[in-house]
Amino acid sequence: MNTCRTGLLLASLLIASCSGTGITPVRYQSEATGSQRVVGPVAELQRKAIEALNAKHYQQSVEYLQRALKIEPRNAFSWHYLAQTYWHSKDYHRCRDMVYRSISYSSELDDLDRANTILMSQCEQV
Amino acid sequence: MRKAMAGLSLLALILLIPYLIYLNHLINFRFLGDTWAIPSRVYARPLELYPGLKLSPDSLQYELGLSIYQRVDQTPGPGQYRLRGNTIELYTQPFEFSDQTEPAHRLRVFFSRGEVSRIVDTMTNSSLELVRLPPVVIGSYIPENGEDRVLLRFDEIPPTLIKILLAVEDKEFFQHFGVSPVAIARAMIANIRAGKLVQGGSTLTQQLAKNLFLTPERSFTRKVNEAFMALLLELRFDKQTILSAYVNEVFLLQQKNIAVHGFALASQVLFRQSIDHLSDEKLALLVGMVKGPSQYNPILHPELAIGRRNLVLRVMRDHKIIDKNEYQALIKLPLSTVNRVLGVNRFPAYLDLVKRQLKNNYSASELAARGMRIFTPFDPLVQRNLEQGLMAGLARFDQPELEAAVVIADYLSGDIQALVGGREVDFPGFNRAVLAQRPIGSLIKPLLLYSLLEGDATLATRVDDKPIRIRQSDNKIWEPQNYDRRSHGQMSLYQAFVKSYNLPFVHLGVNGGLELLAQNLDRINLLKRDLVYPSLLLGTSEMSAFEVTQMFQVIANQGYFSPLTTIRQVSDASNRILKSIPLDSYKLFDEALMLQVQRAMIGVSEEGTARYLARRFDGQTLAGKTGTTNDVRDSWFAGFTQRRLTVVWLGRDDNTPINLTGSSGALRVWADIMQKQGFKSFKLGRSDSLEWHYINRFNSGLTQQGCLDSVLLPLPKNFKPHSRSRCE
Repeated sequence: MNTCRTGLLLASLLIASCSGTGITPVRYQSEATGSQRVVGPVAELQRKAIEALNAKHYQQSVEYLQRALKIEPRNAFSWHYLAQTYWHSKDYHRCRDMVYRSISYSSELDDLDRANTILMSQCEQV
Repeated sequence: MRKAMAGLSLLALILLIPYLIYLNHLINFRFLGDTWAIPSRVYARPLELYPGLKLSPDSLQYELGLSIYQRVDQTPGPGQYRLRGNTIELYTQPFEFSDQTEPAHRLRVFFSRGEVSRIVDTMTNSSLELVRLPPVVIGSYIPENGEDRVLLRFDEIPPTLIKILLAVEDKEFFQHFGVSPVAIARAMIANIRAGKLVQGGSTLTQQLAKNLFLTPERSFTRKVNEAFMALLLELRFDKQTILSAYVNEVFLLQQKNIAVHGFALASQVLFRQSIDHLSDEKLALLVGMVKGPSQYNPILHPELAIGRRNLVLRVMRDHKIIDKNEYQALIKLPLSTVNRVLGVNRFPAYLDLVKRQLKNNYSASELAARGMRIFTPFDPLVQRNLEQGLMAGLARFDQPELEAAVVIADYLSGDIQALVGGREVDFPGFNRAVLAQRPIGSLIKPLLLYSLLEGDATLATRVDDKPIRIRQSDNKIWEPQNYDRRSHGQMSLYQAFVKSYNLPFVHLGVNGGLELLAQNLDRINLLKRDLVYPSLLLGTSEMSAFEVTQMFQVIANQGYFSPLTTIRQVSDASNRILKSIPLDSYKLFDEALMLQVQRAMIGVSEEGTARYLARRFDGQTLAGKTGTTNDVRDSWFAGFTQRRLTVVWLGRDDNTPINLTGSSGALRVWADIMQKQGFKSFKLGRSDSLEWHYINRFNSGLTQQGCLDSVLLPLPKNFKPHSRSRCE
């Protein structure tokens, strides 16, 4: 199951990088409880951010994710999606900075770590 | 004779036309451009409600009160709320954010055990995961003329207000052409009968012309100008435009150095209510004040104000705006204004910092005139707790001259959430948090420790707390001392840090640490001088509380720098974004080294110079550092929890000794603030390049858990201990 999720996340990233479209959330993990839930204020904001990202409304995506980070500032996924948003909007310095933050909070999230590694290399390549 | 008269008339007409053109030009300039300089409004962070949010009903009520929500006992209407046991029902106002317009909501917010447990939309009867409330206005930037106003469009003016205004001031408003001969005649008769000036014959249009263009002097020339301008206004603009302009222009109240213009702002200032929620007798009071804002000021002259209000109520009865029974009931009501007019800017230190941070982009005059919306991360609840904690803290010292500065930041984002610049928190004076540059003493030690760890040192490095004499470049000898003027022999670097001994740091610093410290200060833009003296090792560098907060932000955030900011977004009067400051966070220092510094700072709070915190907050983990300067002139404490960093400075403006160390002074105030705020314990992060070992704090030997003088410390994976310590 984990392999499937990892594959899905990686695939979605690759598709995103090729097509310039957004990504879909693979899973959400609560910073406070560590449980994997797909409901809650942060999940809702992450979903809205990704919808905005898919529609190329990058500023709006950033604002949703910044709101999510106000609620859970150590949510590795929120930082990762923020990095994605900056990558798509060609702000590669910020992309890299946000990936670092995601990495610093993503211990024991192997699939996210791998996604961050790919994204980091993409940001640094540019 | 006839020819002469005709000639004179023609001449008068020829002279009049250019004058009328000139008056028309004045009207164009004022009305077709920006009629008024509109103050920019500064907003707090929007409160986001969600299940699990730590919030009490009292705190939500406080926030709603700041937003001018009215507390009621029945089902709330727009802009109202009701408290029922452990729930608050509220009807929010819509608000246009930059990312979306938040519609009005009818909500029921449930509370349990100090947090929001559930939110229900009572219109759809559905549970909500997240609701964003409109942000509180925390201040304004007023133009140089001191005028402040909140603009109303014609469709926003309460119809009752219009009825009352016309009934009292200008019954024939919709019939006359700017000047009312009927009103003039009526006034003349009334004045002759009374033998003095008891009634004016000016229309609202004339009053508007006088307020916008003319001086208040009572002269025939002014009256003639006023009449001409009123005629021109009526020719150029419709009645609705003129009436709206009047409602927004009329001067109603002087509030310290601010002139409150317009009914909308006067309603907020006097009643802490929005104009569309005002009851009839309150509207009557406001209209009554038009004739004499000073004379009928309800706070300064309540008897005159109530008399004037009741006169207006009588006019309302006579014009059938209210019936006899309503009139009888309303004249018995008290004034119900606020007891004390609050300053327009209740948080002057914070607003001062906002202005400073905006000054590179917007001048003071632009801020005061363009009607911008400035969105900040200011948290009114954090500010309230800060002010209450500060007052409680300062009360323990019998020093009325003792001043304070406090900065509270979310160190994960760089948001400045609260700020005070002096012990009188709402006084817009010298902002010590930003402007007072004071030596920081031992507050330099965390960054110095980091710098030493960047070299060869570890927390277990054995150091000597022994005297040292240094010849400086000017040949003077510097002999630093510990606070107790004693030496303490050998110990671990960790022990020297938690006890804040100076001598070990000087020994290490002059052997390479000083240069690294200077470089690290420079990386955060806090190196104040090109020449670096050894005394920098003991914190002779001067900083403001704001700068200290920036230094500790990167420490608390484990090496990630986020610039401290009071601004997140600026938009214009049409809600177009002018400036957006996104979250910025970049790696400036090594995470693993910074984690070791954080561990040492936890030690300060558990067993070091701030061990008072361990007693006061038993079972909680806090990280911090005390700072005391020479001759005990400054008392500092900087400490952080799971999310927030708080820096406290105490001192005197005349720089005389306060006889309060960091431990006995600022630390106590810091603790009082934490008590009010509530907090979550600080948790150390992780690092794959560190391992945890038990070390003897004095001889730095490897030891075990439970042995005397053992302490658990994070050390580099390649750490090789000096020795093994005997376990006692």
